[in-house]
Amino acid sequence: MASRVSLKTKGKGGKGSKGSDEKSAAQCLKEWSTWAMKKAKVATHYGFIPLVIIIGMNSEPKPQLYQLLSPV
Amino acid sequence: MAGIVPPATTAVPADVSHTAHTKHDEKTDYMNLPCPIPYEELHREALMSLKPETFEGLRFDFSKGLNQKFSLSHSVIMGPTEIPSQSAETIKIPTAHYEFGANFIDPNLMLIGRVLTDGRLNARVKGDLTDNLTVKANAQLTNEPHMSHGMFNFDYKGKDFRSQFQMGNGALFGANYIQSVTPHLSLGGEVFWAGQHRKSGIGYAARYETDKMVATGQVANTGIVALSYVQKVSDKVSLATDFMYNYLSRDVTASVGYDYILRQCRLRGKIDSNGCTTSYLEERLNMGLNFILSAEIDHMKKDYKFGFGLTVG
Repeated sequence: MASRVSLKTKGKGGKGSKGSDEKSAAQCLKEWSTWAMKKAKVATHYGFIPLVIIIGMNSEPKPQLYQLLSPV
Repeated sequence: MAGIVPPATTAVPADVSHTAHTKHDEKTDYMNLPCPIPYEELHREALMSLKPETFEGLRFDFSKGLNQKFSLSHSVIMGPTEIPSQSAETIKIPTAHYEFGANFIDPNLMLIGRVLTDGRLNARVKGDLTDNLTVKANAQLTNEPHMSHGMFNFDYKGKDFRSQFQMGNGALFGANYIQSVTPHLSLGGEVFWAGQHRKSGIGYAARYETDKMVATGQVANTGIVALSYVQKVSDKVSLATDFMYNYLSRDVTASVGYDYILRQCRLRGKIDSNGCTTSYLEERLNMGLNFILSAEIDHMKKDYKFGFGLTVG
Protein backbone atom coordinates (compact mmCIF):
# COMPACT_ATOMS: atom_id res chain seq x y z
CA MET A 1 0.00 0.00 0.00
CA ALA A 2 2.79 2.37 0.76
CA SER A 3 4.28 1.67 -2.67
CA ARG A 4 0.85 2.27 -4.25
CA VAL A 5 0.56 5.61 -2.49
CA SER A 6 4.02 6.68 -3.57
CA LEU A 7 3.23 5.66 -7.16
CA LYS A 8 0.09 7.77 -7.05
CA THR A 9 1.96 10.85 -5.81
CA LYS A 10 4.64 10.34 -8.43
CA GLY A 11 1.99 10.23 -11.08
CA LYS A 12 0.34 13.38 -9.78
CA GLY A 13 3.66 15.21 -9.55
CA GLY A 14 4.48 14.18 -13.12
CA LYS A 15 1.12 15.36 -14.45
CA GLY A 16 1.34 18.60 -12.53
CA SER A 17 4.63 19.55 -14.13
CA LYS A 18 3.30 18.68 -17.57
CA GLY A 19 0.08 20.70 -17.02
CA SER A 20 1.86 23.86 -16.06
CA ASP A 21 4.05 23.72 -19.18
CA GLU A 22 1.66 22.80 -21.99
CA LYS A 23 -2.02 22.08 -22.49
CA SER A 24 -3.37 19.71 -25.07
CA ALA A 25 -5.06 21.18 -28.12
CA ALA A 26 -8.47 19.82 -27.10
CA GLN A 27 -8.22 21.46 -23.68
CA CYS A 28 -7.23 24.78 -25.26
CA LEU A 29 -10.15 24.58 -27.65
CA LYS A 30 -12.53 23.74 -24.84
CA GLU A 31 -11.36 26.67 -22.71
CA TRP A 32 -11.57 29.12 -25.60
CA SER A 33 -15.00 27.89 -26.66
CA THR A 34 -16.27 28.20 -23.08
CA TRP A 35 -14.87 31.75 -22.90
CA ALA A 36 -16.49 32.58 -26.24
CA MET A 37 -19.85 31.15 -25.19
CA LYS A 38 -19.78 33.16 -21.97
CA LYS A 39 -19.06 36.37 -23.87
CA ALA A 40 -21.71 35.52 -26.44
CA LYS A 41 -24.25 34.91 -23.69
CA VAL A 42 -23.57 38.30 -22.09
CA ALA A 43 -23.65 40.03 -25.48
CA THR A 44 -26.96 38.40 -26.38
CA HIS A 45 -28.44 39.13 -22.98
CA TYR A 46 -27.73 42.85 -23.22
CA GLY A 47 -27.81 43.35 -26.94
CA PHE A 48 -30.68 41.31 -28.37
CA ILE A 49 -33.54 43.69 -27.65
CA PRO A 50 -31.54 46.78 -28.79
CA LEU A 51 -30.67 44.84 -31.96
CA VAL A 52 -34.32 44.12 -32.68
CA ILE A 53 -35.21 47.75 -32.05
CA ILE A 54 -32.44 49.01 -34.35
CA ILE A 55 -33.46 46.62 -37.14
CA GLY A 56 -37.10 47.61 -36.67
CA MET A 57 -36.45 51.34 -36.67
CA ASN A 58 -34.51 51.03 -39.92
CA SER A 59 -37.14 49.00 -41.75
CA GLU A 60 -39.48 50.60 -44.30
CA PRO A 61 -41.61 52.69 -43.65
CA LYS A 62 -39.29 54.23 -41.09
CA PRO A 63 -41.10 54.90 -37.82
CA GLN A 64 -40.40 58.05 -35.87
CA LEU A 65 -38.40 58.02 -32.63
CA TYR A 66 -41.26 59.37 -30.48
CA GLN A 67 -43.39 56.36 -31.51
CA LEU A 68 -41.06 54.14 -29.52
CA LEU A 69 -42.02 55.80 -26.27
CA SER A 70 -45.52 57.16 -26.69
CA PRO A 71 -48.49 54.92 -25.93
CA VAL A 72 -50.54 56.02 -28.93
CA MET B 1 -77.24 25.27 -83.97
CA ALA B 2 -76.54 21.70 -84.63
CA GLY B 3 -72.97 22.62 -83.98
CA ILE B 4 -73.76 24.01 -80.51
CA VAL B 5 -75.65 21.07 -79.02
CA PRO B 6 -73.21 18.24 -79.65
CA PRO B 7 -70.28 19.95 -77.82
CA ALA B 8 -72.54 20.41 -74.76
CA THR B 9 -73.57 16.76 -74.73
CA THR B 10 -70.04 15.61 -75.34
CA ALA B 11 -68.62 18.07 -72.78
CA VAL B 12 -70.57 16.58 -69.84
CA PRO B 13 -69.37 12.99 -70.14
CA ALA B 14 -65.87 14.28 -70.77
CA ASP B 15 -66.05 16.29 -67.52
CA VAL B 16 -67.24 13.30 -65.53
CA SER B 17 -64.53 11.12 -66.95
CA HIS B 18 -62.03 13.93 -66.31
CA THR B 19 -62.90 14.17 -62.61
CA ALA B 20 -62.90 10.39 -62.31
CA HIS B 21 -59.51 10.42 -63.98
CA THR B 22 -58.11 13.09 -61.65
CA LYS B 23 -59.44 11.24 -58.60
CA HIS B 24 -57.68 8.20 -59.87
CA ASP B 25 -54.60 10.32 -60.38
CA GLU B 26 -54.86 11.74 -56.84
CA LYS B 27 -55.08 8.24 -55.50
CA THR B 28 -51.96 6.99 -57.18
CA ASP B 29 -49.73 10.04 -57.62
CA TYR B 30 -47.07 9.21 -55.08
CA MET B 31 -44.60 11.57 -56.70
CA ASN B 32 -46.67 14.60 -55.87
CA LEU B 33 -47.36 14.31 -52.16
CA PRO B 34 -47.90 17.41 -50.04
CA CYS B 35 -45.20 18.62 -47.69
CA PRO B 36 -45.84 17.37 -44.17
CA ILE B 37 -46.09 19.70 -41.19
CA PRO B 38 -42.98 20.15 -39.05
CA TYR B 39 -42.20 17.35 -36.59
CA GLU B 40 -42.61 19.52 -33.51
CA GLU B 41 -46.08 20.59 -34.67
CA LEU B 42 -47.32 17.05 -34.99
CA HIS B 43 -49.82 17.42 -32.18
CA ARG B 44 -50.66 21.01 -33.15
CA GLU B 45 -54.43 20.72 -33.39
CA ALA B 46 -54.69 18.74 -30.17
CA LEU B 47 -52.41 21.17 -28.33
CA MET B 48 -54.40 24.17 -29.53
CA SER B 49 -57.63 22.70 -28.23
CA LEU B 50 -56.47 20.93 -25.11
CA LYS B 51 -53.65 23.06 -23.77
CA PRO B 52 -54.57 26.72 -23.72
CA GLU B 53 -52.16 29.02 -21.89
CA THR B 54 -53.93 29.22 -18.58
CA PHE B 55 -52.63 31.66 -16.01
CA GLU B 56 -53.48 32.85 -12.52
CA GLY B 57 -54.02 36.43 -11.55
CA LEU B 58 -54.09 39.49 -13.72
CA ARG B 59 -52.62 39.76 -17.18
CA PHE B 60 -52.57 42.91 -19.23
CA ASP B 61 -50.96 42.94 -22.69
CA PHE B 62 -50.53 46.00 -24.80
CA SER B 63 -49.17 45.59 -28.29
CA LYS B 64 -48.24 48.57 -30.37
CA GLY B 65 -47.30 48.33 -34.02
CA LEU B 66 -44.87 50.90 -35.32
CA ASN B 67 -45.00 49.67 -38.87
CA GLN B 68 -46.01 46.53 -40.76
CA LYS B 69 -43.08 44.51 -39.52
CA PHE B 70 -42.00 46.04 -36.25
CA SER B 71 -44.01 46.13 -33.02
CA LEU B 72 -43.42 46.61 -29.33
CA SER B 73 -45.33 44.90 -26.57
CA HIS B 74 -45.78 45.73 -22.91
CA SER B 75 -47.19 43.19 -20.46
CA VAL B 76 -48.07 43.39 -16.81
CA ILE B 77 -48.55 40.11 -14.96
CA MET B 78 -49.56 40.00 -11.33
CA GLY B 79 -50.39 36.84 -9.51
CA PRO B 80 -49.16 33.84 -7.59
CA THR B 81 -46.55 31.76 -9.38
CA GLU B 82 -45.85 28.20 -8.42
CA ILE B 83 -42.42 27.19 -7.30
CA PRO B 84 -41.46 23.55 -7.60
CA SER B 85 -41.58 21.81 -4.24
CA GLN B 86 -40.72 18.31 -3.16
CA SER B 87 -43.86 17.78 -1.12
CA ALA B 88 -47.27 17.14 -2.61
CA GLU B 89 -48.46 20.64 -1.71
CA THR B 90 -48.10 23.40 -4.22
CA ILE B 91 -46.26 26.45 -2.96
CA LYS B 92 -47.22 29.75 -4.51
CA ILE B 93 -45.50 33.07 -4.16
CA PRO B 94 -47.21 36.27 -5.28
CA THR B 95 -45.15 38.02 -7.92
CA ALA B 96 -45.60 40.95 -10.23
CA HIS B 97 -43.72 41.39 -13.50
CA TYR B 98 -43.49 43.86 -16.27
CA GLU B 99 -42.37 42.43 -19.55
CA PHE B 100 -41.15 44.44 -22.50
CA GLY B 101 -41.05 42.86 -25.90
CA ALA B 102 -39.88 43.81 -29.36
CA ASN B 103 -40.91 41.88 -32.48
CA PHE B 104 -39.64 42.18 -35.99
CA ILE B 105 -41.53 39.97 -38.41
CA ASP B 106 -40.44 39.78 -42.03
CA PRO B 107 -41.10 36.94 -44.49
CA ASN B 108 -37.40 36.03 -44.34
CA LEU B 109 -36.42 37.01 -40.82
CA MET B 110 -38.29 36.91 -37.58
CA LEU B 111 -36.86 38.29 -34.34
CA ILE B 112 -38.83 38.16 -31.11
CA GLY B 113 -37.37 39.31 -27.81
CA ARG B 114 -38.99 39.55 -24.40
CA VAL B 115 -37.30 40.85 -21.28
CA LEU B 116 -38.72 40.73 -17.75
CA THR B 117 -38.06 43.02 -14.80
CA ASP B 118 -35.87 40.43 -13.13
CA GLY B 119 -33.53 40.37 -16.11
CA ARG B 120 -34.70 37.21 -17.83
CA LEU B 121 -34.53 37.35 -21.60
CA ASN B 122 -36.52 35.17 -23.92
CA ALA B 123 -35.26 35.41 -27.50
CA ARG B 124 -36.41 33.70 -30.68
CA VAL B 125 -34.83 34.08 -34.08
CA LYS B 126 -35.95 32.49 -37.32
CA GLY B 127 -34.22 33.11 -40.62
CA ASP B 128 -34.58 31.68 -44.10
CA LEU B 129 -31.16 31.06 -45.55
CA THR B 130 -32.49 29.67 -48.82
CA ASP B 131 -35.93 28.60 -50.03
CA ASN B 132 -35.62 25.29 -48.27
CA LEU B 133 -33.18 25.85 -45.42
CA THR B 134 -34.27 27.66 -42.27
CA VAL B 135 -32.29 28.44 -39.14
CA LYS B 136 -34.07 28.89 -35.85
CA ALA B 137 -32.65 29.82 -32.48
CA ASN B 138 -34.35 29.94 -29.12
CA ALA B 139 -32.78 31.16 -25.89
CA GLN B 140 -33.84 31.81 -22.31
CA LEU B 141 -31.11 33.76 -20.59
CA THR B 142 -31.06 34.62 -16.92
CA ASN B 143 -28.69 36.40 -14.61
CA GLU B 144 -28.29 33.30 -12.49
CA PRO B 145 -25.39 31.15 -13.59
CA HIS B 146 -26.12 27.76 -15.16
CA MET B 147 -29.82 28.48 -15.55
CA SER B 148 -29.72 29.68 -19.14
CA HIS B 149 -30.78 27.56 -22.08
CA GLY B 150 -30.21 27.95 -25.77
CA MET B 151 -31.12 25.85 -28.77
CA PHE B 152 -30.31 26.07 -32.48
CA ASN B 153 -32.36 24.28 -35.14
CA PHE B 154 -31.52 23.81 -38.79
CA ASP B 155 -34.54 22.82 -40.88
CA TYR B 156 -34.43 21.48 -44.39
CA LYS B 157 -37.71 21.24 -46.27
CA GLY B 158 -37.84 18.90 -49.24
CA LYS B 159 -40.66 18.24 -51.69
CA ASP B 160 -42.51 15.80 -49.47
CA PHE B 161 -40.32 15.55 -46.41
CA ARG B 162 -38.83 17.71 -43.68
CA SER B 163 -35.70 17.15 -41.68
CA GLN B 164 -34.32 19.04 -38.72
CA PHE B 165 -31.10 19.06 -36.77
CA GLN B 166 -30.99 20.55 -33.27
CA MET B 167 -28.11 21.64 -31.05
CA GLY B 168 -28.61 22.89 -27.54
CA ASN B 169 -26.50 23.84 -24.59
CA GLY B 170 -25.45 21.10 -22.27
CA ALA B 171 -24.38 19.06 -25.32
CA LEU B 172 -27.94 18.38 -26.41
CA PHE B 173 -28.17 17.10 -29.98
CA GLY B 174 -31.24 15.97 -31.82
CA ALA B 175 -32.42 15.18 -35.30
CA ASN B 176 -35.81 14.42 -36.71
CA TYR B 177 -37.31 13.51 -40.05
CA ILE B 178 -40.87 13.35 -41.29
CA GLN B 179 -42.07 12.07 -44.67
CA SER B 180 -45.44 12.11 -46.42
CA VAL B 181 -46.28 8.52 -47.30
CA THR B 182 -49.75 9.04 -48.75
CA PRO B 183 -51.70 12.28 -49.23
CA HIS B 184 -53.15 11.82 -45.75
CA LEU B 185 -50.51 9.90 -43.81
CA SER B 186 -47.08 11.07 -42.75
CA LEU B 187 -44.53 9.13 -40.73
CA GLY B 188 -41.50 10.39 -38.93
CA GLY B 189 -38.83 9.64 -36.40
CA GLU B 190 -36.43 11.43 -34.10
CA VAL B 191 -33.25 10.76 -32.17
CA PHE B 192 -31.68 12.86 -29.46
CA TRP B 193 -28.63 12.73 -27.27
CA ALA B 194 -28.25 14.69 -24.03
CA GLY B 195 -24.58 14.84 -23.10
CA GLN B 196 -24.99 16.33 -19.69
CA HIS B 197 -27.40 13.69 -18.46
CA ARG B 198 -25.86 10.97 -20.60
CA LYS B 199 -29.23 10.05 -22.04
CA SER B 200 -30.21 9.24 -25.57
CA GLY B 201 -33.55 8.51 -27.06
CA ILE B 202 -35.29 7.51 -30.23
CA GLY B 203 -38.90 8.03 -31.12
CA TYR B 204 -41.37 7.45 -33.93
CA ALA B 205 -44.44 9.43 -34.91
CA ALA B 206 -47.33 9.10 -37.29
CA ARG B 207 -49.99 11.55 -38.35
CA TYR B 208 -53.13 10.84 -40.34
CA GLU B 209 -55.22 13.79 -41.37
CA THR B 210 -58.24 14.41 -43.51
CA ASP B 211 -60.45 17.48 -43.87
CA LYS B 212 -62.53 16.41 -40.91
CA MET B 213 -60.13 14.82 -38.49
CA VAL B 214 -56.53 14.51 -37.41
CA ALA B 215 -55.11 11.50 -35.60
CA THR B 216 -51.53 11.42 -34.34
CA GLY B 217 -49.45 8.93 -32.45
CA GLN B 218 -45.98 9.17 -30.96
CA VAL B 219 -43.82 6.55 -29.26
CA ALA B 220 -40.41 7.13 -27.67
CA ASN B 221 -37.96 4.89 -25.89
CA THR B 222 -38.10 7.20 -22.87
CA GLY B 223 -41.34 5.36 -22.26
CA ILE B 224 -43.81 7.86 -23.62
CA VAL B 225 -46.73 6.85 -25.78
CA ALA B 226 -48.88 9.81 -26.84
CA LEU B 227 -51.98 9.48 -28.98
CA SER B 228 -54.37 12.22 -29.94
CA TYR B 229 -57.48 12.59 -32.04
CA VAL B 230 -59.16 15.80 -33.14
CA GLN B 231 -62.49 15.87 -34.94
CA LYS B 232 -63.59 19.02 -36.69
CA VAL B 233 -67.32 18.76 -36.19
CA SER B 234 -68.04 22.01 -38.03
CA ASP B 235 -66.33 25.29 -38.89
CA LYS B 236 -66.92 26.54 -35.39
CA VAL B 237 -66.59 23.44 -33.24
CA SER B 238 -63.74 20.99 -32.75
CA LEU B 239 -63.53 18.17 -30.28
CA ALA B 240 -60.22 16.73 -29.20
CA THR B 241 -59.01 13.89 -27.09
CA ASP B 242 -55.56 12.98 -25.90
CA PHE B 243 -53.99 9.93 -24.27
CA MET B 244 -50.53 9.91 -22.70
CA TYR B 245 -49.03 6.77 -21.26
CA ASN B 246 -45.56 6.29 -19.84
CA TYR B 247 -44.82 2.58 -19.88
CA LEU B 248 -41.75 2.93 -17.68
CA SER B 249 -43.33 4.88 -14.85
CA ARG B 250 -46.87 3.52 -15.42
CA ASP B 251 -48.35 6.99 -15.58
CA VAL B 252 -51.53 7.52 -17.55
CA THR B 253 -53.36 10.69 -18.45
CA ALA B 254 -56.35 11.01 -20.72
CA SER B 255 -58.14 14.22 -21.53
CA VAL B 256 -61.13 15.28 -23.57
CA GLY B 257 -61.75 18.82 -24.69
CA TYR B 258 -63.63 21.12 -26.98
CA ASP B 259 -62.82 24.25 -28.91
CA TYR B 260 -65.57 26.62 -30.02
CA ILE B 261 -64.44 29.36 -32.39
CA LEU B 262 -67.36 31.76 -32.62
CA ARG B 263 -67.63 35.22 -34.10
CA GLN B 264 -66.98 37.19 -30.92
CA CYS B 265 -65.24 34.69 -28.74
CA ARG B 266 -63.18 31.54 -28.54
CA LEU B 267 -64.00 29.09 -25.78
CA ARG B 268 -61.84 26.10 -24.97
CA GLY B 269 -62.44 23.60 -22.23
CA LYS B 270 -61.08 20.27 -21.18
CA ILE B 271 -61.40 17.65 -18.51
CA ASP B 272 -58.62 15.35 -17.45
CA SER B 273 -58.32 11.93 -15.88
CA ASN B 274 -56.27 13.54 -13.10
CA GLY B 275 -59.38 15.34 -11.95
CA CYS B 276 -58.40 18.64 -13.53
CA THR B 277 -60.78 20.78 -15.55
CA THR B 278 -59.63 23.78 -17.53
CA SER B 279 -61.47 26.48 -19.35
CA TYR B 280 -60.21 29.43 -21.36
CA LEU B 281 -62.33 32.17 -22.85
CA GLU B 282 -61.15 34.92 -25.18
CA GLU B 283 -63.87 37.44 -25.87
CA ARG B 284 -63.51 40.13 -28.46
CA LEU B 285 -65.00 43.27 -26.92
CA ASN B 286 -64.04 45.62 -29.69
CA MET B 287 -61.58 45.83 -32.56
CA GLY B 288 -58.21 45.05 -31.03
CA LEU B 289 -59.58 44.69 -27.49
CA ASN B 290 -59.81 41.16 -26.09
CA PHE B 291 -60.94 40.05 -22.68
CA ILE B 292 -59.54 36.79 -21.34
CA LEU B 293 -60.82 34.54 -18.58
CA SER B 294 -58.90 31.46 -17.53
CA ALA B 295 -59.80 28.82 -14.97
CA GLU B 296 -58.00 25.66 -13.93
CA ILE B 297 -59.49 23.54 -11.16
CA ASP B 298 -57.46 20.58 -9.93
CA HIS B 299 -59.61 18.54 -7.58
CA MET B 300 -56.89 16.04 -6.74
CA LYS B 301 -54.27 18.56 -5.67
CA LYS B 302 -56.90 21.04 -4.43
CA ASP B 303 -55.31 23.75 -6.56
CA TYR B 304 -57.69 26.39 -7.92
CA LYS B 305 -56.39 28.91 -10.39
CA PHE B 306 -58.47 31.72 -11.81
CA GLY B 307 -57.19 34.46 -14.00
CA PHE B 308 -58.49 37.39 -15.96
CA GLY B 309 -56.83 39.68 -18.42
CA LEU B 310 -57.13 42.21 -21.14
CA THR B 311 -55.23 42.28 -24.44
CA VAL B 312 -54.99 45.48 -26.42
CA GLY B 313 -53.70 45.51 -29.96
